[in-house]
Amino acid sequence: MSVHSDTFALELDGLSKEYPGVRAVDNVSFTVEKRTVHCLVGENGAGKSTLVKMLTGALRPTSGKIYVAGKNHTPTSPQEAREGGIATLFQELHVVDELSVIENLTLGMEKKRFGFFVKSDLEDRVVATLKAIEPSIDPTAPVSSLSVAQKQIIEIARAASSGADIIIMDEPTAALSEREVERLFGVIRRLRESDVTVIYISHKLDEIFELGDNVTVLRDGKHIVTKPLSQVNGRSELIELMIGRPVFQDYKPRTTVTDEVVLQASGLSNALLKDVSFDIKKGEIVGFYGLVGAGKTEIARAVFGADKYSGSIALNGKQVGHSPREAIAAGIALVPEERRTQGLFTSLSIRENIPVMNLPRMSAGGLYRSADEVSAAQEYVERLRIATSSIDKHTEKLSGGNQQKVVFAKCLFSQAELLLLDEPTRGVDVGAKTEIYEIIKNLADQGDAVAVFSSELEEVLGICDRIFLLFDGVVREELANGPNIDISHILNVVTGGGEAAVQ
Amino acid sequence: MTSVADFLPQKETGRRMSDESFITLLVVGVAIGLFLLASAVLPNFFQFQNLVNLVTNNWAVISLGIGVSFLLVSGNFDLSVGGVVALSGVLSVYFAQAVGGANPLSSGLGMPYVLAIICAMGGALAIGALNALFVVRFKIPSIIVTLGTMMVARGVAQVITHGSQRNTNLPDSFGFLGNLTMFGTSIKLPVVLMVVLLLVAVFIEKKMVFGRVTYWIGSNPVAATLSGINRGWHVTKLYLFSAAIAGAVGILLASEFKSGFSNRGLLMEFDALVIALLGGVAIAGGFGSVIGMFFGAIILAVVTSAATGLVLSPDWQFILKAIAVFLAIMAQTWALALRNR
Repeated sequence: MSVHSDTFALELDGLSKEYPGVRAVDNVSFTVEKRTVHCLVGENGAGKSTLVKMLTGALRPTSGKIYVAGKNHTPTSPQEAREGGIATLFQELHVVDELSVIENLTLGMEKKRFGFFVKSDLEDRVVATLKAIEPSIDPTAPVSSLSVAQKQIIEIARAASSGADIIIMDEPTAALSEREVERLFGVIRRLRESDVTVIYISHKLDEIFELGDNVTVLRDGKHIVTKPLSQVNGRSELIELMIGRPVFQDYKPRTTVTDEVVLQASGLSNALLKDVSFDIKKGEIVGFYGLVGAGKTEIARAVFGADKYSGSIALNGKQVGHSPREAIAAGIALVPEERRTQGLFTSLSIRENIPVMNLPRMSAGGLYRSADEVSAAQEYVERLRIATSSIDKHTEKLSGGNQQKVVFAKCLFSQAELLLLDEPTRGVDVGAKTEIYEIIKNLADQGDAVAVFSSELEEVLGICDRIFLLFDGVVREELANGPNIDISHILNVVTGGGEAAVQ
Repeated sequence: MTSVADFLPQKETGRRMSDESFITLLVVGVAIGLFLLASAVLPNFFQFQNLVNLVTNNWAVISLGIGVSFLLVSGNFDLSVGGVVALSGVLSVYFAQAVGGANPLSSGLGMPYVLAIICAMGGALAIGALNALFVVRFKIPSIIVTLGTMMVARGVAQVITHGSQRNTNLPDSFGFLGNLTMFGTSIKLPVVLMVVLLLVAVFIEKKMVFGRVTYWIGSNPVAATLSGINRGWHVTKLYLFSAAIAGAVGILLASEFKSGFSNRGLLMEFDALVIALLGGVAIAGGFGSVIGMFFGAIILAVVTSAATGLVLSPDWQFILKAIAVFLAIMAQTWALALRNR
């Protein structure tokens, strides 16, 4: 039993989570005061999501303790976490469109006897909670008629009426418009007034300054600081705390960059992109950096013809067709964001995966040359150093890094002039990461053009010659990489800050 | 403990037999084992003629199984083939029947037989095109689409035959194809066509780009599209091929019996599905082979014919098929899990 149970809603004491070879959360201790909005910030991989998963019972800590209102909190499932007083709002909505508001609110909490519902005060309770949070929503309306923000409020109401004292919100504004964000903030403030503690996670620093009482910064799994936001000296101090050190970058200017434009994209627009224009030169590695939802994947998919767009894309001066097939034929290859669902044929072997993007090279008159397939597989396994006992191994059974190398092999086999790499090292261990960076650099040195779409700043700063900063579907700025690059400026731009916000 | 895999040949240079060859060998093994078991129990079962009959009696289902297997490998169902068999058979009769018979069921369009066959094939391909249209263009699950077109095809056949059959007023040439015996033996043309079709299918599956593309699509349709494969067109071709095979089967059966019967090929779509599954074709797509499907048909044939040879009455055949399917699929899942442990 903790002694501070009356002032602190949540206490973490030496919390750690270890994975083989890495400490995702490393001896983190801090406290969250009752009736506050407590913000949690950090770069990708700082340990935020691991921490949240331990609070909600999805992961169990390797060591350390969690106290909720003074009581030891050891949930083994989200259900148990909720009973212990912590409810979570995830980025994706978990409401049932076909049911009414009130049915959604009581879902899973209904009182039952012999499989039949029995009357209880539950409905009155949830309606009262909803009224307190947002009186404008009709409890009998079907959820499908509500806006995204209203649906989010339904989720908040559900969390609040479950009796949770702490509600964790993970990027709740990712899908909301500006006006909806304002309303959500109103709801969060009213929650705070009704004795609920909110733990708020966001990449958007403006929101944090507008809403938060206190902030905790995590970096590399370690707790850096917890302090009132009133004592934080603006965005720049917060950014400094988040990076904490010169960002690791071993970028060396490359000599093979030419002036010859390979890809010219102009005025790309679709549901997310707004008038995106850029060019990529022969032998160059360009980076597209932005937060989740800034439009990186959308640009890659548009150039590859996988998504609809308006605007024009020309490779070596020739217009590229609007389908992956035509893009590949023109000389563009894509390493997709999700390798398991979009890149790999997991039920097939390495050998069977590699040739798919270049069938003309594998066949003559419709006849498939199996012998060439074997030699191609052997060549690429060796060239990309794919660690496997056999080229006939199912890609399903390879490690993340080796799976990614197989996807690379597929693209290299297509002999493309332009490679689009969407999150090329996501979920890949450090060793394989370095190897993949080597592969990318070698490709550019051989005269290919490479575009890296990444939400990891280190990655972009480490290998790219030129960097496009994205925010909200717009290319905000173009920078040449070099030793004097201003990292806090980059972070400021991609989190939505204008020039003026830099202090 | 040793696994089944230990007894199977391993190639040198670190290459290992694929799961697909493994399952095919397993299916072949089970088929041979069951045949020997039945031979040990039943007198007169172990005869060459009996072995031949197991294949020749099932030429129709095995032929349908080829199209169905390719589609399953691509991740799509085709339940319409039984209906197409009825439709094309009935159409070929209706088109070939002379004009002005004594009653509505004995008068047709009076086309020359060759033209009648071509038009009947057109009807079959129309069903295939309908399947492709709904599955590819409107993205409706193939199991629903082909269940619908199965009923459409049989329904049209039923209307044309008034729910009965047409077997009068046909030219003599009509019975020629279905009853032609080959090479001085009792083996009929349809059986020979089935064998040719099997060989071509195996060649396409193993040696041609077309076969390989089918596996890619079935294994991961999203990745296939992102790898530049024209998925919609490929699946369209598969549905057309499957319908064409079913159309030919229907025409040959109508010729063999010199009649167009709206209930012909009833439940054949399910037999074709069952032999494909027995042969190790994965219902989720991306896995399986035509050779496996063929031996799946042999397993089913041995089980049903052995059962009728035993004390059981033919009424038991559905139960036996059910048991065979459950056992075979459990055995395959188990063997694969053991091998890939």
